[in-house]
Amino acid sequence: MTQTIKQQLSSPGGWLQFLIKYNTIFIFVLLVIFSAFISDVFFTSVNLSNLLKQVSGIGIISIGMLIVILTGGIDLSVGSMVALLAVTFAILVNLVILPLAILGTIVIGFALGSIAGYLVAYQKMAPFIATLALMTIARGLGFIYSNGSPIIFETKGGLFMSNFANNSTLGIPNIAIVFFIIVIGAMVMLKHNVFGRLVIAIGSNEEASRLSGIKVNKYKFLVYAISGALAATAAIIVASRTNLGSPNMGVAWELDAIAAVVIGGASLNGGKGTAINTLMGVLILGLISNILNLLNVPSYPQQVVKGGIIVFAVLLQRFENK
Amino acid sequence: MQNLEHEYRLEMSGISKSFGVVSVLKNVNLKVKPGEIHALLGENGAGKSTLIKILSGVHQKDNGTVLLNGKEINPKNTHDGQVLGISVVFQELSLVNDLSVAENIYLHKLGSSQFWMNWKEITQNAQELIDSLGFKIDASATVRNLSIVQKQVVEIAKALSEDTKVLVLDEPTTVFDPTDTKKLLDNLFKLRDKGISIIYISHHLEEVFKIADTITVLRDGVDTGSVSTKETNTDDVIKMMIGRELKDLYPTRTAKIGANPVFEVKNLTAKDNLVHDVSFDVKPGEVLGIAGLGGSGRTEMAKLIFGVDKKKSGTLLLEGKEIKTSSPVEAVSHKIGFVSEDRKEEGVFLPMSIRKNISVTNFNFISNPFGFLKRDKEQKNVTELIEKLNIKTPSSEIEVKNLSGGNQQKVALAKWLSIDSKVIIIDEPTRGVDVGAKIEIYNLINEVAEKGVGVIVISSDMPEIMGIADRIQVMHTGTIYGELPKEKFSEENILRYAIGKPLKELSI
Repeated sequence: MTQTIKQQLSSPGGWLQFLIKYNTIFIFVLLVIFSAFISDVFFTSVNLSNLLKQVSGIGIISIGMLIVILTGGIDLSVGSMVALLAVTFAILVNLVILPLAILGTIVIGFALGSIAGYLVAYQKMAPFIATLALMTIARGLGFIYSNGSPIIFETKGGLFMSNFANNSTLGIPNIAIVFFIIVIGAMVMLKHNVFGRLVIAIGSNEEASRLSGIKVNKYKFLVYAISGALAATAAIIVASRTNLGSPNMGVAWELDAIAAVVIGGASLNGGKGTAINTLMGVLILGLISNILNLLNVPSYPQQVVKGGIIVFAVLLQRFENK
Repeated sequence: MQNLEHEYRLEMSGISKSFGVVSVLKNVNLKVKPGEIHALLGENGAGKSTLIKILSGVHQKDNGTVLLNGKEINPKNTHDGQVLGISVVFQELSLVNDLSVAENIYLHKLGSSQFWMNWKEITQNAQELIDSLGFKIDASATVRNLSIVQKQVVEIAKALSEDTKVLVLDEPTTVFDPTDTKKLLDNLFKLRDKGISIIYISHHLEEVFKIADTITVLRDGVDTGSVSTKETNTDDVIKMMIGRELKDLYPTRTAKIGANPVFEVKNLTAKDNLVHDVSFDVKPGEVLGIAGLGGSGRTEMAKLIFGVDKKKSGTLLLEGKEIKTSSPVEAVSHKIGFVSEDRKEEGVFLPMSIRKNISVTNFNFISNPFGFLKRDKEQKNVTELIEKLNIKTPSSEIEVKNLSGGNQQKVALAKWLSIDSKVIIIDEPTRGVDVGAKIEIYNLINEVAEKGVGVIVISSDMPEIMGIADRIQVMHTGTIYGELPKEKFSEENILRYAIGKPLKELSI
């Protein structure tokens, strides 16, 4: 790895190629330097830890999104799933002991994701449609089960979670640690496990995968279920941070997750993308919001800037393919 | 324009083209006179299609000039080509299935001239055009409902709907039966007499000698010269095409053929396509050829065996025991391998490395029970196969899309060798592969058979199938029409069975 990097840097024009190849990291570093110059507050531990807390929820669902996108699919349901599962977790945490509440929420997330997975893999429904339906259903169920208003944690278990979610270990917010563990888990699974190899194979050529004797449907089913379980994990974290579960959580998060994955260089056609680059994508999106907040830019212009960054990142990736 | 008579209607000179590192055309010349049928010959992968795609504007040449009536042209897309009067009927049909015949024929004109379409007039014109070709097709019918022959006719009508000066036909008769072929050829004579220059690509030497005035041969991207049909013969043309005597191309078969079949198919019938009552067997060490015309159900049969399509009835026996293959997963678990004819779409994973391509069938061997990969074991296995198959690559980490067709095909084969398959079905093993790689693939098939594998090779290339097979089954309209033992191998015999006729003389 380091050798090839050295080779690249020593060849003529190597620097440029290097920058194009690792463009996501390059943009990230550039943004950090830029932020540090533009604001005194940026490099304070309070700000950085806030930044990490803000991105952790979306970060976790982005990993689920990445795995789905690697197969050539898409999961529009994750934002609404976060809302429904946050409500679910708040209800469960007030009803049963904490480990059971956590486990229950994740199992329900997995099961809901399985519905989309079943529709896509076995009923051959377009992923866009299947998850769009699930998105509407999940949001609706969230409102039904919460009667439209937030459900506040009322037990010791809830208190424990809220403490956990708002504290740090060794200066890193606990929820960011959860996010990083998931990123590392995804990196390992995608690179060193048959699961990752097959998910990428299916995304790069589904027909060839089928004709190689790969259980294509099983894996297509699984990625949506896993995305659901990760949405549950994100929901637990987000609910715990605010000490409540609300059906209004996670609005449009699916779009941020898709943006993060795409900025991370993944192809929406499937077969291309890595967890580390998705992490970069998540951090880039978070950084932009953060710095614009520090500069007191109102939220509407922020959206315009975000859109611009997405276009810029994807245009840059076109060079990579040449 | 016409009074500025040039000797040649079309002059392509010094044309070169490469895709990435692969050089497809090297300094190719092609000169076509007005009112001439000019055959363009060459093996698969010799560069014929690329040359035509440059002429019609699909690809852009790297070097060289193209003169039409003495004026340099440079079409940037097929529309440019059509406007200049160059019409191409490609091998892969390019019709829009959901539109009518008339709409397809005039598709390139839709939206260009006027706002409102006069459908009545368009349909009428289309009908006249088709009638003039002598085929019976309703111009208002939806293309989806046409047979493949009818679709081909619509393609030709479409090419003629313009003021065509140069008409290119890429293997137009592969799907035609003899009557339709004759009709088509008669039409070509009529067009030639009208002064249209026709470039005719075909593998069918007999046909070429019947109709062409001049022959240009391509070999491995270089033109090996143009000759007048009158002044040459089949043998010389073949020599020009392959650059050597035919016999060097195919390896001497050395595999010992076992006594009992390794794999038997009995009365196999498909649920959703034309394949019915197919029975044959293949012995260990044997190369069984499956011949037949396009559309005779060869690929469909292979996919049926491999579990891609649904079966209605029939039995499969592997080493004497009945097996079920209701999905490719099951077929692979019985160690049956399948190399698809459509390499890029169904055979290899283009954006993935050679290593990952080869390992994709073999995870039981290279991973632990939790699915974690043993990279050392994987690397060793892959490196061995790359060496054994002589895949030309600097490393196992090169993406397959950067390899030549022949090397891609070896990668597609390698994944079945890595799991010690008992039966391997190879559909069109050398389509789009250059001669050098072809010989290697033939040797490889030979070696695979030597290990006791039953190899089933489907091929449209008659010299090829006669060169490598021990026995040939010929398919016609979805079933096996007849079997040819080695001593009865001839193009004529294969063709007769392929069109559903008995052999001429029943010897013995």
